[in-house]
Amino acid sequence: MPPHVPEWGPSRLAALSLLMLALGLVATVWLPGLEGEQPSALAANYTSAELRGRAIFQREGCWYCHTQQVRAPEVGRGTIDRPGDIGPESAPGDYARQQPVFWGTERQGPDLSHVASRAAGGNRAWQLVHLRSPSQVRPGSTMPSYAHLPDDELEALVDYLLTLK
Amino acid sequence: MALGAQASPEALGARRPFIVAAREALMGEEPDGAARYFLYSAAFWLLLPGLAGLALAVLLYAPAAQELIPLGLRGPLGFGRLRPMHVNVLLFGWLSMVYVGSMLFITTRLTGSPLYSERLARVTLVVWNLAMLAATISLPLGITQGREYSEMGWGIDLLLVVGYATLAVNIWGTVRRRRHPKLYVSLWNFMAASLIGALVYAIGNKVWDPSGAYVGMTDAIMSYFYVHNIFNVWFTTGGLGLALYLLPKLAGRPLFSHRLAIWGFTSVWTGQHHLLYGPGPEWLEILSVAFSILTAVPNTAFLINVVKTMEGSWGRLRQDIALRFLVAGCLFYAFTCLQGISQSIRTFSAFIHFTNWVIGHSHLAFVADYSFFGFALSYALLPRLLGREIASQRLASWHFWLVFVGILVFMVSLWVGGWMQAVSWQSGARFIESVQLLKPYFLLRLVAGGVVGVGVLAFVVNVALTARAPRLTMAPATPSAGVA
Ligand code: HEC
Repeated sequence: MPPHVPEWGPSRLAALSLLMLALGLVATVWLPGLEGEQPSALAANYTSAELRGRAIFQREGCWYCHTQQVRAPEVGRGTIDRPGDIGPESAPGDYARQQPVFWGTERQGPDLSHVASRAAGGNRAWQLVHLRSPSQVRPGSTMPSYAHLPDDELEALVDYLLTLK
Repeated sequence: MALGAQASPEALGARRPFIVAAREALMGEEPDGAARYFLYSAAFWLLLPGLAGLALAVLLYAPAAQELIPLGLRGPLGFGRLRPMHVNVLLFGWLSMVYVGSMLFITTRLTGSPLYSERLARVTLVVWNLAMLAATISLPLGITQGREYSEMGWGIDLLLVVGYATLAVNIWGTVRRRRHPKLYVSLWNFMAASLIGALVYAIGNKVWDPSGAYVGMTDAIMSYFYVHNIFNVWFTTGGLGLALYLLPKLAGRPLFSHRLAIWGFTSVWTGQHHLLYGPGPEWLEILSVAFSILTAVPNTAFLINVVKTMEGSWGRLRQDIALRFLVAGCLFYAFTCLQGISQSIRTFSAFIHFTNWVIGHSHLAFVADYSFFGFALSYALLPRLLGREIASQRLASWHFWLVFVGILVFMVSLWVGGWMQAVSWQSGARFIESVQLLKPYFLLRLVAGGVVGVGVLAFVVNVALTARAPRLTMAPATPSAGVA
């Protein structure tokens, strides 16, 4: 059997792999990045309390169950409580002030991009009850309870959630 | 066909005080030592994150189970804290360590040269284990960078970059000193996987910035570049390199076509299909779909090679459990690629994305494909490293069937459940209905996950028994040269 490719040595291989990586970075990271976007009207200018809430959102891993990314085909159709209340399509500028972004990959729970624009989600008191005991206000909910978090952390979390208009 | 084995004092069955054994593991220079300890470490790092996986399945099915956890532990043992531990330690602990150990072993065999530096390999071993220890503790404590596959904190990132870099030095250094002038395809894969893997990890985790995250759209695009390319470059390119070495060995036949295998040398371009219908630029999506579809070429090449190499050797599947795991893994792999391509088609993606279908897909890739490779490598290489058989063939056979049946049921329940979820979303039903309809599928997944867990436990016990068993036969202590 001819088990080998003759003329290829380590240096060519290194060059080829690095070239592929560089091309990949240019085409899929750098070029798209050039379209750099201005913050949209929905991009919140976070207060320190909201930023603290955002950090708790990150720490508790809420983003494993909730996306923040509404895609074109679901606009007007995606339903949390009422038809179409998933909200408008996400625009690049919506994320301009976020580090990191919480796009997410799974929706065990609803998309949260515009949760504060929904009737329940925009209500501070509802949010607090929901975080402590989700199934109390959403019968059948499988969201975990966060009653073990201190009150000030829950308040901060809600401060952040209310920025998601 | 002998892969060659090493005699080690420990292999002779001598029991030494732990401290002496530990010092030997960290600083010894005995050839193949690092490879062996990497395989042991890999099996060890299956346990806790595997258990975490079960806990996650329980919490999703019955969130009230949380109340059984003492109040002080509800934070660390919550869903959003355990999930990153489960994923990261399985990917960078179990799977990556099986890869590293096997690459170290195989590289010396394919080059006919001793490892460039066994000492350096022990450094790799130490930093990698430290990284996993830190991850296992810090992720449940909520120390996270908040990006998928790159949750582990800055210090851990630095350790892992050192781990990848020292591995790359060892692989490239050994290849430079090779006694066989020609490079077998697996070496291509190892060289690229270690070098580019180090770079992708460093860039994707933004290791020069402790926050580890970029801002806005750049963060989203970079994160998915990283997720898919650490997958392609490290887990796939590395895994296929390992499979292409092991398959001809275990099948007892030469690789069908080396030229085809070279085609499997995958590109780093396919990461962006997560952005479908997202807020990213349109042309990027089209490019990424194109590249996802292009991956059909190397995948088909790989599948042809597997089937043709196995021709006439299928009967060996009955006896050889390593081969059984390997071939099952290869077939699952082919299926993963088909499923992956289907998911990158825009209309299907719009339908299925964000559902549990995708969780099924990632378990297909990491458990059914690459972990199966990992089991095959452990069963095939440990006997060569230790100069004795695997402790229990029966246990190994149980391991295979439990994991095989378990993971099939696991995936099918998520695929069907995910499909139903998608249908519910399309119908405009209230979201909570899609939550409710998942219940039976989550129960099935939990049971199936338990079955996988028992199988994995059988594996770890078997590795431990093999590591401790007294040595039976003496094997030659020189690396036997060459490929099939
Ligand atoms: C295990 C998955 C899971 C995790 C983790 C999780 N959630 Fe949820 N969440 C759900 C599910 C399921 C629902 C839908 C049922 C409900 O409304 O309770 C939901 C609903 C919500 C809603 C209501 C959305 C709406 O528009 O009605 C909010 C707000 C929310 N979650 C916030 C959070 C926050 C904040 C965290 C982290 C502290 C979190 N979730 C963690 C599963 C999860």
